[in-house]
Amino acid sequence: MKIYVWLRTAMWASLTLLTACRSPEPAKLTIATAANMQFAMEALTRAFTTETGIACNLTVSASGKLTAQIREGAPYDVFVAADMKYPDELFKAGLATRAPEAYARGRLVLWSAKPGLEPSLPGLADSAIRHIALANPRTAPYGLAAEEALKRQGLYEALAHKFVYGESIAQATQFISTQAAEAGFTAMSVVLSEQMKGKGRWIEVDPALYAPIDQGIVVLRRAETDGAAAEKFYTFMFSAKAKAILKQFGYEVNE
Amino acid sequence: MISLNIQKRLHAAGGQMQLQAALEVRQGELVTLYGASGSGKTSILRMLAGLMKPDGGYIRVGDQWWYAADPPVWKSPQQRKVGFVFQDYALFPHMSVQQNLAFALEKGQDRAIVAELLDIMELEALRHKRPGALSGGQKQRVALARALAARPRILLLDEPLSALDYAMRQKLQDYILHVHRKFALTTILVSHDPGEVIKLSDRIYELSEGQMMSVATPEAFFEPGRIRADFTLVGPIETIAREGGRYVLRVRVGDNSIKLTADQPEIAHWTPGDRVELVSAAGGASLRRLGEP
Amino acid sequence: MEEINWGPLALTLQLAGVTTAILFVVSLPLAWWLSQSRSGWKPVVEALVSMPLVLPPTVLGFYFLLAFSPGSFFGGWLNEQFGLKLVFSFEGLVAASVVYSLPFMVHPIYSGLSGLPPSLSEAAYVMGKTKLTTFFRVLLPNMRASVLTGLVLSFAHTVGEFGVVLMIGGNIPDKTRVASIAIYEEVEALNYAEANVYSLVLFVISFAILLLVYLINGGYLKKHWR
Repeated sequence: MKIYVWLRTAMWASLTLLTACRSPEPAKLTIATAANMQFAMEALTRAFTTETGIACNLTVSASGKLTAQIREGAPYDVFVAADMKYPDELFKAGLATRAPEAYARGRLVLWSAKPGLEPSLPGLADSAIRHIALANPRTAPYGLAAEEALKRQGLYEALAHKFVYGESIAQATQFISTQAAEAGFTAMSVVLSEQMKGKGRWIEVDPALYAPIDQGIVVLRRAETDGAAAEKFYTFMFSAKAKAILKQFGYEVNE
Repeated sequence: MISLNIQKRLHAAGGQMQLQAALEVRQGELVTLYGASGSGKTSILRMLAGLMKPDGGYIRVGDQWWYAADPPVWKSPQQRKVGFVFQDYALFPHMSVQQNLAFALEKGQDRAIVAELLDIMELEALRHKRPGALSGGQKQRVALARALAARPRILLLDEPLSALDYAMRQKLQDYILHVHRKFALTTILVSHDPGEVIKLSDRIYELSEGQMMSVATPEAFFEPGRIRADFTLVGPIETIAREGGRYVLRVRVGDNSIKLTADQPEIAHWTPGDRVELVSAAGGASLRRLGEP
Repeated sequence: MEEINWGPLALTLQLAGVTTAILFVVSLPLAWWLSQSRSGWKPVVEALVSMPLVLPPTVLGFYFLLAFSPGSFFGGWLNEQFGLKLVFSFEGLVAASVVYSLPFMVHPIYSGLSGLPPSLSEAAYVMGKTKLTTFFRVLLPNMRASVLTGLVLSFAHTVGEFGVVLMIGGNIPDKTRVASIAIYEEVEALNYAEANVYSLVLFVISFAILLLVYLINGGYLKKHWR
């Protein structure tokens, strides 16, 4: 009889102990990141964690894909997008705490890793360039911008048969850097990153040729999100420190 | 016509066995390789056909070398012209009887032989049937006919009748003898059935555990030293009963069941399944259990 | 709902058809060698042939991308000599699919060959038939079920290919945008209706193919077909 009582107490005690252990966890953020921001975000989150002690997990993918996932309940706390359209959709669907604000403006570049090749828009018609990589315009804003720029220059029709589509800027970059595609369009932040710096040659695509790539950020409305931590990150993205890092990666920021 | 002296290390379930065999077969002879299962008889046949390569020795047929160890000579089975009857018949399941025979013909050979063989082997009515629809005896006749379609000089038979019952075996033995004579073949038959061996052979080579023990004519097969008798029967005991002061035994010999009466005291220790030898000689008969001195 | 573009489905069937045809030709000698060989290389070859069964398709696609892009040694050589580029092309997908679906053709044929009694081929050899003649006139006709299984499984498996195509295809309409990729893209772009149509068609095709295999192997169709 006594043993039975003792066992029961022990059972309840361990249960409460287990549940109690859950609460005081170190704050952690899961950030959905547009592919073009991959390298910049690594630097940004490093600075953020140093400053606040809040750890960050990055999920990198095309903005369209991330938006679809978030609509289906993906466990992200913050969405750092490559345009305004996708985060705006989320806000309209009631999945974000407020309307998106632009944290940076992206710049499009034409890049080639093939030795001896000088990238230029008219030069894309050259027969030495068999494939031109860009991110899928249906799901990636930079891909859309590349398409737009070529259309404005009247080069789209002639070059269309050479296009290969990466499922995000990341895959387009992969195609270009492995020289699977002789040339392609990617974000300036990619060619300025540590990993890709000095690889091949690139030129900036004239910003007049495409609608500005205003990149928006939203905090996502989820029960599990640590609202305070998420807000801290949101504010950080507009801080002087963040702007400096963003400029390093070739983004334009509001001063 | 066939001169063979070969060595081969064989790997069997019970371990390794060194096969050492020498044969001389004259043209037109029907020679039997006789011995227990696993004694190497089939291997000799396969090496003669080119389906297995010896470790050493030679095989000469007519004036051609089919195999030699030094200098190395090897004729592939395609290059040797033999008829081979397999233990499992090896008929092609997707072809009819007639197609099986026709497939065996050589390029440009006259097709008349197919009809002739169907006639000799009494397969006319079955020519369009597939092997799956045939009985064991019928399949064996087809296998025999097919082995002869290309008109070989040599016929090799690997225990062709072991799966058949006594009556069918008799009939097929007659077919084999018939074609052997009609086509003037030189034939080597592998068998472990003593009755068959005695009936068909001109000479018998006896093998045991890879070694050739003897070669003899059927008459001398049960040679002096083994038995000096009118007949010898060997077989397992089926039943033992006591009647009065005597033992009544039933012994199975081939397809026959023989009833014996004996009063040897040692029979008390015998059990059904024991192999016994019944020897009949001029003065009477004696019964002893095999394996005893 | 916009008009359904049948391009990806046609491309998928085309890819599966070409791949299966090539695989059949390639697998016969390979399966034959496996059934005859006692060499120490046999287990190595068997393992290699079976690799696509366990290797994630993305690994295969990744190595293909590295090997075949013009920047690499092999890819560059192909480009220079033949003007052939195996990334971003239908030919490249075929090459990758042949590797990807190889075990699905080799295994059934190898197992079919092993299941035939050795005396069948021996009988043919003794009749003077060459190994080649024996293979095509004696062995293959007695392995119809195995051959059919191999053809059908390879076809069906290639229809479902995704990871490899994703890595090296480049999603080019009418060249490398196969149905599985198109479905993926429609889902990403939130066009669930289109994605559903493609998926349903693929589902029905795959099911019909597998049903055919099981009907034939189970002998249900024997009376109609020999």
